[in-house]
Amino acid sequence: MAKPIFKSQIFFESKEIVQKKFSKIIVKKKYREALSGLLLVSIATLLNFVFGYFAALFAVYLSFFEWNYIGPMKFVGLKNYEILLRDLLRGISGAHYFLAPFYTGLKNIVLYTLIVVPTQTFLAMVLAAFANQKIKGVQFYKVSYFLPAVTCPVIISLIFIWLFMKYGFINYMIQLIIPGFAPDWIHDKNYLLYAIALVAIWGTSGHFMVSFLAAMQSIPRELYEAAMLDGAGPIRRFIYITIPMLKPMIVYVVVMGMIGALQMFDLAWVMAGPSGGPGGAGYTMALDIYREAFINLRPGVAAAKSMFLFTLIFVSTYIFQKKYKVVPR
Amino acid sequence: MARSKALAKSIIALIVLVIIIAAALAGWYIWTQMQRPTEKIYIRFAGWSAGETEMKNYEKIISLFQEQHPDIIIKYEVITQMFHENILASYGAGVAPDVFYLDSSWAPIFIDKGAVLPISDYVDEEFINQFYSFLLEPFKGADGKIYGLPKDWSMLMLFYNKKLFQQAGLTRPPDTWDELVKYAEIITNKTGVPGLAIYLGGFNRYMPVALSNGAPKPWFDSPDDASWFDHPVVRETMEWYINLYLKGKIEREQKGLPPYVVAPSDVGAGWLGDAFGSQKVAMVISGNWMIPFLADQYPDFKFGEDWDIAPVPRGTKGRVTMAYTVALAINSKTENPEAAVEFVKFVVGKEGQKTLVVKMGHTLPSIKGLENDPDMWPQHRKSLSFLDEYTMVQIFLWGPKSGELESKISDIMAAAMRGEITIDEALESMKQVVQEMFQG
Repeated sequence: MAKPIFKSQIFFESKEIVQKKFSKIIVKKKYREALSGLLLVSIATLLNFVFGYFAALFAVYLSFFEWNYIGPMKFVGLKNYEILLRDLLRGISGAHYFLAPFYTGLKNIVLYTLIVVPTQTFLAMVLAAFANQKIKGVQFYKVSYFLPAVTCPVIISLIFIWLFMKYGFINYMIQLIIPGFAPDWIHDKNYLLYAIALVAIWGTSGHFMVSFLAAMQSIPRELYEAAMLDGAGPIRRFIYITIPMLKPMIVYVVVMGMIGALQMFDLAWVMAGPSGGPGGAGYTMALDIYREAFINLRPGVAAAKSMFLFTLIFVSTYIFQKKYKVVPR
Repeated sequence: MARSKALAKSIIALIVLVIIIAAALAGWYIWTQMQRPTEKIYIRFAGWSAGETEMKNYEKIISLFQEQHPDIIIKYEVITQMFHENILASYGAGVAPDVFYLDSSWAPIFIDKGAVLPISDYVDEEFINQFYSFLLEPFKGADGKIYGLPKDWSMLMLFYNKKLFQQAGLTRPPDTWDELVKYAEIITNKTGVPGLAIYLGGFNRYMPVALSNGAPKPWFDSPDDASWFDHPVVRETMEWYINLYLKGKIEREQKGLPPYVVAPSDVGAGWLGDAFGSQKVAMVISGNWMIPFLADQYPDFKFGEDWDIAPVPRGTKGRVTMAYTVALAINSKTENPEAAVEFVKFVVGKEGQKTLVVKMGHTLPSIKGLENDPDMWPQHRKSLSFLDEYTMVQIFLWGPKSGELESKISDIMAAAMRGEITIDEALESMKQVVQEMFQG
């Protein structure tokens, strides 16, 4: 390049160079950003692959084998599924719970899900509606509704066992309303599952309240104003505006609730015990899978039962979503 | 300007120097750490814990061992929950510890699969002969070799509340099973306190009743073994045991009478020890593990004055108690079997058991000759003196699937005790469980 003659030439040239350099940096930066992004994501992805997908695929593989953790695995074809099927058939034909544990778990968990999911969804919505009001001290209510969601389920169960005792607080309160009605919640097979369901509802409603609260706050105010002008009261506004506008969130909450309820383990383990309490009333499928894996030492059977549970969760949530999915306009 | 530049330069130089020194130190440290394993032998030792005192005592024993064996380093790992499940999982993952606790009921799973080292190949006969022979039985393989050395043991005995006995006008503990029920009824009628507490279910708690009345020794490893439940004595004693609760609790309450047999939860207790210590029941049949619990949790409830122990009641064919033992076993894949054996010998040997078992008072020593040790708790010494009265000591081991069998049969027993199923249905279900467990 020729030597610059005018000062202005120097200026222009340098500007060009600067621009060139600058664009180079941008490219480099973009590249670097992508690289660092990938690096950061890779840790989570790797963990997910090892502990998520690999474990899941290994479970599928395991369900065709007989193994007791020590020594080699033995291929047994569909034998583990046969054991599962025999359990279900025996349960349907009316065998005792200890001879058909998986069927007992299935029966209990379906009833449990039917109680818990609708109740917790409705309750969460109502709580969110309250928390959405512009009243004094609303923050206090939000915190107190949400508190159960951040408390350890095992501790909650232990506290509730104490409250549910025959001469405990809950029966004391019930006595005030229905005199003479004092069931032994934890030790009576007719009440155990309901007691567990009650604890679950109490523990999860606050969690889903937050989801509903977020969705409620994104509902345009004009809708309510227009309805108010038309003379709709608060209840009608809730039914005709809030609920329809919340539909996508309701689908989400129900699906998440179903996934959680169908694989419930912790509450049953603490409140009913590993063998499901009196009459197996508190036995769940997850409890049975655990028992197969670690007490009966049949991880293959446990894996086959897990496949059944997975299919149940997948199919039921898929059908629900398909039926109620909101098509975005 | 120039001065500040020079200052900055010197500061930077200083920082660089510090960094270089730090890096050198770190490098040296890492290098020495890497050098170590080639010189020293590491032994991973896993156990559960009966509390902080036990852990501290183990740490003490380990440091004593390391003083005598400076080239061996013991890594003590405490697994607080689901111990054997964890060990099995660690085998599955290929990271099992070198030395670990092995409960008698879990022993066959590990021995049959060759997962544990035949320790009798490494120690002389004299050392093995120190142990009570019945405690070695569960750790014997099909080849006659010993695969674990018991670290301690416990046996069932009758705990009774002397004050409540006095109030009821009873002067001695019950001697036979029928007397046990009779006494429980008398105590309840006289004092209002339930006479006896038992667990709902509990195949191992029922076993002394069956065996002392002449039932064959139980062993389940094939579908044919289900016939054990057809034996007339088994049937009769199972009915008797289930009726303890069915008649002593459920039927009594239906008649509006106070129950003379209860489960711990019926009196607001977590387990038999709690029920007995809080004096909500007059008698329980439990093991040595209850003794330190009572001393610790109920210090005002004194042995000798307020409560005492007696042998398990007698049946028509003798007196039988249950024994529970835990061994130290060595992983067959350990890289340092000799060092592991040295450590096991140290812990289960006389000196080790003096510190870990006799002084601590949790359980009974598994080697003979410590019965009259001055440090032995009087309660434990008394329980050991009962040994001569027993015609048989049954170890908690029903075959290769003891854990599963115990839990399933206990569930069925519990259902029958609550009156959900009849005794015939219960026995049929038990047979079915055994048949299915060992089918092809």
